[in-house]
This record gives sequence, structure tokens and C-alpha cells, in this order.
Amino acid sequence: MLAKPTASVEHSLVNVSENSMTRDDIKDLILEIIEDIDDEADFDDLDPDKPLRDQLDLDSMDFLDIVMELRKRHQLQIPEEDYPHLATLNSCTAYLEPLLKEA
Amino acid sequence: MHAHYVVIGGGLSGLAAAIRLARYNDNVLLLEKHSRVGGLNSYYYRNNRLFETGLHAITNYADKAAKQAPLNKLLRQLKISRDEIGFHQQILSEINFPDRSLIFSNDFNILLEEISEKFSPESDNFRRLVHDLDRTDPFESHPYRSARAILEDYLDDPDLIDMLLCPILYYGSSWENDIDFKQFVIMFRSLYQEGLFRPAGTIKNLLDLLVDKLNHFGGTIKLGTGVRNIIATGEKIIGVTLENGEKILCKHLISTIGLDETRSLLGTRKEVPDDRRLSFVESIFQIDKRIRDRLPQDRTCIFYSKTRPFTFEQPSTIVGYDSGVISLPFNFRDLNPDDDFIEIRTTQLANYRKWLSISRDTGQYDAMKCDHTGESCRQIEPIIGSFADGITYSDCFTPLTVERFTGKHAGAIYGSPHKISDGIIGYDNLVIAGTDQGFLGIIGSMLSGVAMVNKHILSKL
Repeated sequence: MLAKPTASVEHSLVNVSENSMTRDDIKDLILEIIEDIDDEADFDDLDPDKPLRDQLDLDSMDFLDIVMELRKRHQLQIPEEDYPHLATLNSCTAYLEPLLKEA
Repeated sequence: MHAHYVVIGGGLSGLAAAIRLARYNDNVLLLEKHSRVGGLNSYYYRNNRLFETGLHAITNYADKAAKQAPLNKLLRQLKISRDEIGFHQQILSEINFPDRSLIFSNDFNILLEEISEKFSPESDNFRRLVHDLDRTDPFESHPYRSARAILEDYLDDPDLIDMLLCPILYYGSSWENDIDFKQFVIMFRSLYQEGLFRPAGTIKNLLDLLVDKLNHFGGTIKLGTGVRNIIATGEKIIGVTLENGEKILCKHLISTIGLDETRSLLGTRKEVPDDRRLSFVESIFQIDKRIRDRLPQDRTCIFYSKTRPFTFEQPSTIVGYDSGVISLPFNFRDLNPDDDFIEIRTTQLANYRKWLSISRDTGQYDAMKCDHTGESCRQIEPIIGSFADGITYSDCFTPLTVERFTGKHAGAIYGSPHKISDGIIGYDNLVIAGTDQGFLGIIGSMLSGVAMVNKHILSKL
């Protein structure tokens, strides 16, 4: 099982509004979206630094759905050229964190 | 009226495209000319019974674990669970030629073993072919290449080449005696390496499921709503005019009705008639189930040729009986028939112009349909056993029937020989999806709808 990180110390409390998502929230969001796309997805032993594609047997059509769900749920616009940022769970989080703060 | 997204054609590709759009967008409108969805794969009622049109078997069977298989990708994209479909796999299918036959099923090893047993000098060649096909990307853009010519590079026995081609041409070629290599690769995988199944129930259950999905995502379907023309200004589509005169403006238009058919609506169709479009006649025989004992118990589809070499071309007669497909839909696994009847279906090549010319006389046309079903029965009885005495109802769909109900020019079920693999025909906001985009079969045409919407619309939002 993917270890749930303990209290996040990485972001400055000063800049975080009540509604802002923590890195953990963002990871949960991504996993929730993936589970919604593929209810058989197995997150045991998921390495957050390795490509989601290989570990979860996802393809480009599934990645498009991750982007579409982010758009639908959080009104995020992710241009096609930024899709590579969504490769791993950690790279997703790093890429989405500032976007979700702006949102 | 205005809709952001208009899809023309409520066949399987149009339904899939519309579901995909509606899943992530508001204001999706699907227009279907006929009073019922399904296009080539639909149904009708006679004597209080439902009869399917088109469907013999669905290609691209895959187990649940094969996540990257086209079937499972498609279901994920449309948010349909496997349980909603229900799967009945084929038992065995046969390629039946004079003095030679091959069996295949949903386990590809069966075909490999058949070939090493019956075409032993070709066994290694065939494995080499499969090895190379496995490494071919059929979605890479490429001009037409003859699949037959490529097969001849690998295989020496012309019978084996013909036998491998026969089911593939019957289940998806819009070319005479051959098929584009890209499409051959797709069909080889979907038919031989994956295999055949039927959904639980009838095609109506599958269509109802798709309509429910579309409604669930907020899309709208208008039945009995034909399009008179597509309104374009330069390279931009403004909307469509319906046959009733109403105009619908839209931002994006997806046409699944075929390439020539779409050009007709744009007023840009070349006037030279495409005489070489291949059309077929399909017959249905409803039979007393007591006859079943005389018929093959384990054959799901039989692809036959009475001649060697096998020919797949427009016949000079009204129907060509030298080759065809026999579908025995009662021979799928785990069916639980509580019915007094079984069905046999046949598909044979037809001559559209000959059907057209006799159709001017309704009496003669009806008599010809009747003659044809009788002849089709006589032609296949030597292959599957006699059943004429058990027929309780029969019907046939000529190329004119197909043209009338589906709008496919010349009743050509596999569409134009010209395929538009990127779906673009010179307009900024018009996408072609479905058979003429180059994907084949029920799963293929639905994936075409999905892939074109993904590529040209969703990824650009």
C-alpha cells in the first residue's frame, strides 16, 4: 500500500488558504480519478517516482481522461504539451500544486 | 437552434463519439435519420419477434485482464463495465474451402496448430508472419499497400493466403480480392488473435445501454432527423440544415455517415459514381429448433469458398454464391435458449446495380428476394446440413435495404475504399469517424468515434 505521508511540512502555511489542497490531497485526488477510470487499478506497491503508465497499465487514452477529469472537477486547463508532467504520481503533484492554488 | 457539438449518425461510431463528448461537455446533440439507432447493426420486428440486422458476431474479444486490448480500452473510455455487456464467446469458427479447412477460435494457438498440421511446410513461415505483424503499427499513416502482396512475401501456398484472407475480407474489406495492409493487421488481430463473441441478449440491449449512457451524461438524441445539408463558410462548418428545414448551428461537427455521404451533404461529392463499392446480401432463416441436431454443434461462423482460388469481387450476377459467410448464432458459449427457434444467417456478395434495376418493378424485386433466400439455402446446405424443411420464416437484406435504412451509398457496408485515417477532410471543425476513418467492426467503429473525439476535440479543450 502506498504510504500515506504524514503531515506535510513542504508548503508555507502563510500562502495556503483554507480551500487550498495539500500535496496529500492532490495525490488522493489523482488516485481517486485513476480508480474512477479503472476500478481494477491496484495501488499496492505503487512507486510515486515511477511512471504511472507502466505500473498501472494505463495508456494515452486513460491519461486524457485524467486531464479531462481535472478539467471537469477543478476547471484546470492542461495543454497537451504539458501531459508529460503527469507521468508519475510525484510529478503530477508537483505540476498540479501551483495550478490548484491558483484555481 | 444551437448545439456545441453535433454528431451525424446514430450508428455505433456516432453513439460512441456522442457519449465521449457528453462525458466531458454540455450540449451534445446526436442526429439519426432512421427512427431507431444502430445504423448497420440494428433490429426490426416481424411476427412479434425481434430480428437483428448486421450482427453475426463481434470481433475483438478480450479477457478482463488484457487492459490494453481494444475492447477493454473502449469500455473504459465509455464508462461501461463488462458486466453491463455480458460476454458469450464463440465455440469454433471454420474456413471451409474445397478439400481444405482451418479452424480458429478465441485461443490463437488453435489456428497455429491447425496451420502446422494442415499446411506443415508453411508453419515456420506463418510464425514469421505473425512475429512481424505483432511488431507492425497499423495506425501509422501509410498509403495503400496490398495485404495479398505482403502475404505472398511470407507464404508460398496460395490456398493458405486465400484462406487467411477470406474471413478478413468478408468482415471488413471495401476492396476487391484484397485489403489495405494496415486494415489487414487490425483485422488479423481482432478476428484471429482476439476472436469473436456476442453480447448477452440482442443488439437491442447493447444499443439501449449506449443510449442510456448518452442520456446519463446529458447528451440528446434526435431520431427520425435526417440532415439535408451541412452549412460551411470556407473551411469552417457553421451548422446543418435538417430535412425538415430547421437549422442547427454548431461549433464542432462529427460525421459518422461515411466519406462520400458526408461530401454529398457538403455539396462537394465527386459526380463520378463509385461503381466498385462492395455490397452484400444478408439472409436470415428462422428455423424450428428440432432441426438443430442436423446442424454443426460447435461451429459459430463458417467462412466458405466453393472455388479455388477464392474470389471476393462484385459478382456479374445479382448475388455471388461462390463464397460467403454462414453464421450460426446459437453456437456461442453459455447461451441459455428458451426459444422454439434458432437462426441461420448468410452473407454473400451482391451486385448493387442489378438489384437497383429490378427494384423498379416491386413484384419482380420481391420475387428476386425470395429466389435469393431459396438459393442461399440450397448453396449452404451441402456445408452445414439440410434445414430447408424447418424454415419458419426467412428474410433478406439487399444492398437497397441497407442503403434505404442506413444511407450507405450502394449499400456498401464497409464504406468507401478511400479511408481518412486522421478524420480530417479539409474543414477546421469537421471530423469524420466510423468505417470510413478506417477502423472496422463494431468495436473498431466505436473506437473510431472515441479516438477522433479524443484527438480532435477533447485534447484541444
